[in-house]
Amino acid sequence: MIDKQNNRLGWLFASPYLIYGLIFFIGPLIWSFYLAFTNWDLIAPTYDFVGLKNFTKALASPGVQASFWVTYKFMMLFVPLVTVMSLAVAVLVQGLPKFKSLYLIGFFLPYLSSGVVSSLIAKGFLSYNSPVNNFLRNTFGLDIDWLGTPISALAIVGIILAWKFTGYYALILTSGLESIDREVYEAAAIDGVTNRQRFWRITLPLLYPALYTTLILSFGVTFGIFTEVYQLTGGGPNYATNTWQMEIYSQAFKNLQAGYASAIAIMASVVTFISIFVIRKLLEGWGKRNGWV
Amino acid sequence: MKKKLSLILALTMVFSVLAGCAKGGGAESADGVTTIEFWAAPNPTQQAFWQEMADKYAAVNPKVKVNVSAIKESPSSEASIQAAIAGGNAPTISENINRGFAAQLSNSKALVALDELPQFKEIVEKRNMTETIKPWEFADGHQYVLPIYSNPMLIGWRTDILKEIGYNEPPKTYSEVLDAAKKLKAKYPDKFMWGKGADLADPTAWKRWFDFFILYNAASDGNKFIEGSNFVGDEKAGVEMLTFVSDLVKEKAVLAKQATDPFETGLGVFTDIGPWTFDMWKEKYPELKFKENYDLTLPPVPDNVDPANSKTYADAKGLVIFAGAPKEKQEAAAEFLKWVYSDSANDVAWFEKTNLPPARDDLMELQAFKDVVAEKPELGPFAEAVSKAVPSIDNPRFNELQTLIGSEAFNKIVRGEIDPQTAWDNMKKAIEGELQQ
Repeated sequence: MIDKQNNRLGWLFASPYLIYGLIFFIGPLIWSFYLAFTNWDLIAPTYDFVGLKNFTKALASPGVQASFWVTYKFMMLFVPLVTVMSLAVAVLVQGLPKFKSLYLIGFFLPYLSSGVVSSLIAKGFLSYNSPVNNFLRNTFGLDIDWLGTPISALAIVGIILAWKFTGYYALILTSGLESIDREVYEAAAIDGVTNRQRFWRITLPLLYPALYTTLILSFGVTFGIFTEVYQLTGGGPNYATNTWQMEIYSQAFKNLQAGYASAIAIMASVVTFISIFVIRKLLEGWGKRNGWV
Repeated sequence: MKKKLSLILALTMVFSVLAGCAKGGGAESADGVTTIEFWAAPNPTQQAFWQEMADKYAAVNPKVKVNVSAIKESPSSEASIQAAIAGGNAPTISENINRGFAAQLSNSKALVALDELPQFKEIVEKRNMTETIKPWEFADGHQYVLPIYSNPMLIGWRTDILKEIGYNEPPKTYSEVLDAAKKLKAKYPDKFMWGKGADLADPTAWKRWFDFFILYNAASDGNKFIEGSNFVGDEKAGVEMLTFVSDLVKEKAVLAKQATDPFETGLGVFTDIGPWTFDMWKEKYPELKFKENYDLTLPPVPDNVDPANSKTYADAKGLVIFAGAPKEKQEAAAEFLKWVYSDSANDVAWFEKTNLPPARDDLMELQAFKDVVAEKPELGPFAEAVSKAVPSIDNPRFNELQTLIGSEAFNKIVRGEIDPQTAWDNMKKAIEGELQQ
């Protein structure tokens, strides 16, 4: 009797999320699958079922192919960058004698800033006639087309994202650092370990749970990049920064091909799920080697 | 991961939740008042104009209420309209519609063919726009858009810089521009002749209206580019135009990098200018004075073409009535438009408020318009060039097609990656392939 009552209570407490998920996630997801097999633009009174045509078209599309590779390029740049930066911030803040929270809030602020605003500031900063470029041209003779060159455009977006997420991840890592038992360090000090050994052999392995979280989050970010790319490069030059989201947006809202865009969204989901699954397994393997799993 | 899911969620939410929303009630409320929803361009001056019209109309016709609101730009006005139609929440009328987007909408049967409305003929006659509206006819022979304004895109020249390199007036032909570019680079190696910025290297479809089509229309005497499902571009003029751009690039006279206001700051000597620019200049660059340090002309032409007859691109937008609206609302909307455009004073008010030349045949004939131009002389060249401006292509796949112009030809020319003939051939082949789909 008590079990049944508890069950009911459990369902009751979970119901807001379940209802929300049903209306705003499961329903639309099913409809998105349906749309992916049509040529509907959501406006025309009639449409046809086109079978797998949207998917085959997407596979052959240079825009979609670019999205696939661009995501992994961003991953290779963004994940190490944001991990090193957030780890550095966390370690430095942890070493402060006081005002740790204040510093952490300072680093966290970019996470709250609008992607549109930070992109526009970056755009102004990197423009041909900005003081930075004038200085580079006049002093070193360097004339760099920051957003018009594939490598630098990719790097700029990656750096902006790293700047934005560093504070957030540093917050998670700081709490991870705080949870490491001081006695371990004291014992290590008695054993005469160097600072480098202390970091690589003690801190990093013991930080695994927090690092696992930030790494999974940062890998996830690379599959969802949109605002910065939309504002800064529009996916260019030559698709060099064309993310999945840019491609979906372009097809759905510029070309009015909702069915095709849904097919791309599904493909993006599959790629994301598989990638995150593989990454998770690799990270868990690392954790296992350090006795965490 | 979370973001990814959010995107799928957002995409499907827009499509599904809006589709599930109410389809709207009857056209007439219990008190016998017909309410029409009017979406104005997200521009304060345009919104103010339509609000004023709605208020005045309510005073003379209390049985119709016109609700004016700005089109939301989330993420773009086109996307908002698309979502609204999909959700059954489309307005009765919307302004700010270009021909390309109208072609997309009409292809999906979302628009009323205005020429089939009984009020249409009277609107066209009373507004004196018989000639202006002709090029707006769609490939199926119908008129889906009532053009409100037509901005002939002009070329702004920094005459102060031109004088410093020995030119008392802007160059008009390709060879004159190239000659000026050489002199400019000799005297000011850091300045650019065409100081437009990163847009030139960006394949985004709409950007071609303000570079490729300005020059193509000038070179080809306004020859059509795509007609129905056929590519009909003038190859000779097109290649000549691309060669001109390529030659400027070779002289390092084209700025195709992200830059802040290159024309205004004197980094570039010419760029395309629309009349919406002047309000911004008034606030930000008050030192820019028409005929003192800048001038406006039609685009440069090949040497064998008369510059006086140069054509340009018409940045023109208009009103549409949505097919999803009840017939009574469509009828009320058409009556409202007839009322607005039966009095030229309303177009004068529009011109004064927005600086956008009304799409009329008599723009330079009526004294009231001449008075506006006399007050704002920089609008004169725009008013004079209305008849020389060619509106955009009306193909429903204009977005894909214009992206190909950039990615296959224009952007590559600007980056110096391809020769003009190959660029034209590649672009033609890609466009023909897209048109056959």
